[in-house]
Amino acid sequence: MVELNRKTLRDLDWPVLIAPIALTLFGCLGIFSSAPGTDFWKKQLVALTLGVIGACVFAFTDYRKIMVEVSPFLYAGSLFLLILVLTPLGATINGNRAWLRLPGTSLQPSELAKVATILMLARYISQKREQGLSLKDIIILGAIVILPVVLIILEKDTGTALTYIPILGVFLFLGGMRKALVAASIAAGVVGLLAVYPHLKPYQKERIIVIIDPSKANPRGYGYQTMQSVIAVGSGGVLGKGITHGTQGRLGFLPYAYSDFIGASLAEETGLIGILFILALYSVFIWRLCLIALGSRDRAGALMVMGFVGLFMFHIACNLGMVVGLMPIMGIPLPLMSLGGTSIISVFACIGLALSVRLRRFVN
Amino acid sequence: MSKSSLRDEPFNFELRLRSLLYLILAMLAALAIRFWVLQVSHYQSYQQQAENNRIREIPIIAPRGAILDSYSKPLVDNTPAFNIVVSPDLMTSLDETVKVLVEELNIDRTEAVAQLSDLKRPKSQPVLVKQNATRANRQWVSAHEYEHPEISAEEQPQRVYKYGKLASQVLGYIGQISSTQLEEPKFQEFGYRPGDIIGQAGLERTYDQILRGKNGKRIVVVDSRGRTIRELQRVEPIKGQDIVTTLDLDIQQTAEEQFDAANQTGIAVVMNPQNGEVLAMVSKPSFDPNVFAEHVISAENRDEVRAITNNPTKPLLNKAIQEIYPTGSTWKVMMTTAAMEEGIITPSSSRFACGGGIQVGNRFVHCMGSHGSPEIHYAVVHSCDGYFYRLGLKMGVDLIHDWVVRFGMGQRTGIDLPHEQKGFIPDRATKPNWKDFDTVLASVGQGSVAVTPIQLLRAEAGIIMGGEFHTPHLMKKVLSTEKAPEREYEDKPVYLKLSKTTIDTVSYAVWGVVNEGGTGTAAALPGFNIGGKTGTAQVIAKEKVRTKEHQDHGWFISFAPVHTEERPEIAMVVLTEHGGQGGRTSAPKTKMIFASYYSKKLGHPVVRDFLARNDQPAQITR
Repeated sequence: MVELNRKTLRDLDWPVLIAPIALTLFGCLGIFSSAPGTDFWKKQLVALTLGVIGACVFAFTDYRKIMVEVSPFLYAGSLFLLILVLTPLGATINGNRAWLRLPGTSLQPSELAKVATILMLARYISQKREQGLSLKDIIILGAIVILPVVLIILEKDTGTALTYIPILGVFLFLGGMRKALVAASIAAGVVGLLAVYPHLKPYQKERIIVIIDPSKANPRGYGYQTMQSVIAVGSGGVLGKGITHGTQGRLGFLPYAYSDFIGASLAEETGLIGILFILALYSVFIWRLCLIALGSRDRAGALMVMGFVGLFMFHIACNLGMVVGLMPIMGIPLPLMSLGGTSIISVFACIGLALSVRLRRFVN
Repeated sequence: MSKSSLRDEPFNFELRLRSLLYLILAMLAALAIRFWVLQVSHYQSYQQQAENNRIREIPIIAPRGAILDSYSKPLVDNTPAFNIVVSPDLMTSLDETVKVLVEELNIDRTEAVAQLSDLKRPKSQPVLVKQNATRANRQWVSAHEYEHPEISAEEQPQRVYKYGKLASQVLGYIGQISSTQLEEPKFQEFGYRPGDIIGQAGLERTYDQILRGKNGKRIVVVDSRGRTIRELQRVEPIKGQDIVTTLDLDIQQTAEEQFDAANQTGIAVVMNPQNGEVLAMVSKPSFDPNVFAEHVISAENRDEVRAITNNPTKPLLNKAIQEIYPTGSTWKVMMTTAAMEEGIITPSSSRFACGGGIQVGNRFVHCMGSHGSPEIHYAVVHSCDGYFYRLGLKMGVDLIHDWVVRFGMGQRTGIDLPHEQKGFIPDRATKPNWKDFDTVLASVGQGSVAVTPIQLLRAEAGIIMGGEFHTPHLMKKVLSTEKAPEREYEDKPVYLKLSKTTIDTVSYAVWGVVNEGGTGTAAALPGFNIGGKTGTAQVIAKEKVRTKEHQDHGWFISFAPVHTEERPEIAMVVLTEHGGQGGRTSAPKTKMIFASYYSKKLGHPVVRDFLARNDQPAQITR
C-alpha cells in the first residue's frame, strides 16, 4: 500500500487528472448552452465530483488487487446487469435498449462492462507465464470480449458493441501477437467490413453514403444530421458565435446538441479556438496515459492502461469524426463531454486505476 | 518482473506501444486539420448555410389597387381571403404532403402535384395550393402545425369584380404568371417571379405594374421545425395604386342591358370626343372575371375556366378593339369629308345620279332604293349607295385610301387595352388586279374593308370635332399612395386641318339622318341634336339561307350635339351582330344610351328598367 504523503502527492500524475476535469467542465458549458432550461449540467457536475472521489480511491488502491481479486466479480456483475437490461427492467432511450431504470436515475451497464472487460483481459495477461500469445490465449481473450458484445448487440446498441474491437485489438497487439497474424487480422477486418456492408439496414447505409458523397444523401433523411453538424462546425469559424449564441444547436437544427453532438455545439459556439483547446487536452490526457503504460512495472498494468487508451481514443475519433462528417453516425458519445453520468464516473474510475499503476511503478 | 525482462521478449513492446501513441496523435492532428478546413477555409459557405437554415423570408402580398369608375365607384376591389400555401423546403416527402392536401384540405391531386413539382420555382418560395380556404381548413392547418410545418394559411386579398360580367373584357382578369410569360423579357425586366398573380387581360393587364403594388416581406428566425421564433425585420407591402377609369357605371349598365334585354350580341362604345375618355365599352357575349379570380392556380385545368376559354362564342374577346368588320355605310361620313376637302363636291354642286345602282364591267351593283340624282345631304340622310358608287369612281381608290388612312383607318388607335387589332383597308398595293368593281365596293365600306369599332369611332368623332382626333382611353387617373404620386392620363390629340364648310356639311348630314326622317330616325331624342349614320356589315354566307347567324351586322355611329353652336360632347358606336339593318337594331339602343347620358347630366335618376324596355317616347326635359 502506497502511503499518502507529500512525496506521493508530488508523484501523482497531475495532468492525467486535471485534463479530464477541464474537459468535463468545458462539456458542462456546452450542455448548459445547448440544453437551456434544464439542470443537465448540474448532473454532470455531480458525476464529476463522484468520479474524482472514485479516481482518488482507486489511485491509492493496488490495481493488482482489483485486477486479480475484484475483476471476476465485476465482469460477472456487469454481464448480469446487461442481461437485466433485456428484461422488462430495461428502458429504451433513443432506440437503444441500453439503460436500467433505477430510482431517481438511470444506469447504462454497457459503460461498466467496458471497464470490467478491460480488467478481465488484463487479469488473464497477468496470470500468463509465457511470452507472446498462443492461439489458446487469443481464443480466451476473444471469448472474454465476445460475451458482453453479444448481449450489447441484443440491446441493438451496435455503436457500443464496436468499442470492444479496439480494446481486443490493443490487447492482442501489445500482448505480443505475431506480426503476420496482426497483418492477417487487419486484412480480415477490412474484408469483414466490406462483406457486412450489403447486409446493413437502409438507414445505416444512408449514414455511410452521406460521408462518402454528401450530395447523394437525402438532406431530409439520415444524412440530415451529419449535414447539420458540419454546418454547425463550419459556421463557428475561428472564434465561434459565443456561448448560448449558437443558432444550429439552440434552434434545433443540430440533433442531440448536448449529448452525441456536443462537439458540434461547442465548435459552433467557441469556434476553432475551443476545438483546439479540447483536442490539446485530449492529447495531453492520452499521451500521459501512454507514458504511464510505458513506465508500468508489469505487463498486465501496462495493457490495462492501454486498454483504457484504446477505449477512449476510439470514442474520441468516432465521435469527433462523426461531428465533422468523416465517420457515420453510430451513437458513440464524446468521453467526459457528452451528457451521461455513468460514462464520466467510469472514465474517472479508469483514470484512478491508471494513477495506481503510476504510483506503483517502482514498488515491488 | 523487471524492465529488462520485457526487452527479452521476442517482440518490441515499447516500439509497439509508441507506434500506437503516434497513430493516436496523428488521428487527433487529422481531426484538428479537418476542423480547420471546415471552420476557416469553408467558413463563409457554412456561415451562409446556417443563416439560410434559420432565416426565412415570408412575402406579404401587396393588395392590388382597385379599379373605379369615373365617379370613384369601385368596379374591381379586394376582399379578405385565406390561401393555403406550402413551403417546399420544409417538406419531408412530397407524397406525404400531397396526401394530406388531398385528404384533409380537399385539394385536387393533379393540381397539387403540378404546383409542388414545378422545378423552376425557388425552394424557399411558398407555393399557393388553395384559395379561399374555409374556416375548417384554417383550423386544420393550425392544429397540425407540428406534424406539417410546411403547410400554412396566409391572408391574401382576393380580387372581386363587383358587377360580374359588366365591362368584363375591359376590366380583364388575373391569373398566375405562366412559364412562357416568365421567359418574355418584358416580364423578366420588371422582376416578376414564378407564382406571381398578374393581370392577364384588359386594364388588369395594361396597368399591372400600377395595380400590383410592391410585396412586403417578413424576415423571421425559424427553428428546425419551421416555426417562427422571432421577427427580425418587416417590410410592409405597398398597396397597388387605385385606378380611376373613364367608365361611367350608369352608362355602362344601360349599354349592357340594351343587349341583354334583346338577347343580342354586339358592341357598344361611348366616348367623349373632346378628350377620348371612354364612358362605356360593351362587348357581348361577356364573361365573369370572378371565375378566374377564384381559380388563379392552374386555371387551365378548371372546368369553370375552360367553359369560358373554350366557348365558341369567344366571350373573352373584346370585339370593340379585337374584332374587325366592314364599316358599311358608316364609311360615308369619311367619304363625304374627303370629297369635300378635295373639292370634288361643294355645297352648291354635289349632285350624282343614284340610278338604283351601277353597272361595272359585267356586274350590276344595287342601291337600296331609287333616289334620283340627289345632293350630298340627301344621299347621306337616306344612305344612297348609287350616289357614293359614282362619287367613289370619280375620286379613285388612291384618294379614298389616302384619306381614310389619314383618319386612322387600318391603324391601332393606341387605346390602353392589350391586343388591339389593326384592321384592313384595301388598295392597289394589297390587290394588284384592282378593278372599278373594287372601287365601287370600297366607296361604301364593303368588300375587304375591315376595321375595329373603336377605330371607326375615333375617326368619325374626330371629323365631327373638326379634325381633332383623341386617343380613346380608359384610364382617367392613377390615385396616389404614400409611395407613389397621382398621375393623370396625358391626352395627346392629333389635328387634321378640315374646312368649316366640310364640317358643317357633314354635321348637318348626320343630324339629318336622325332628325329628318333618315335611316337613323329610331335614335332621335327630341331636343338633343343627335346625329348619326347607319351601316350594314355584310356577313358573307355561302348558302342563300338567311338564318339568324347569316344576317348582317347593323352599325349605328352617332354624335351629340351636332348641327348646333355647341361642341359635340358624346360620340358612340353600336354594332348589333346579326341584327340586320343598323337603323332598326342599333339606333334604338343608341337612343337609350343617350337617354341615360342626358338623364344623368341633367340630374334625373337613370331608370334602367324603363330604358331597357326601350319604350317610346323617352321624354327628357331640360
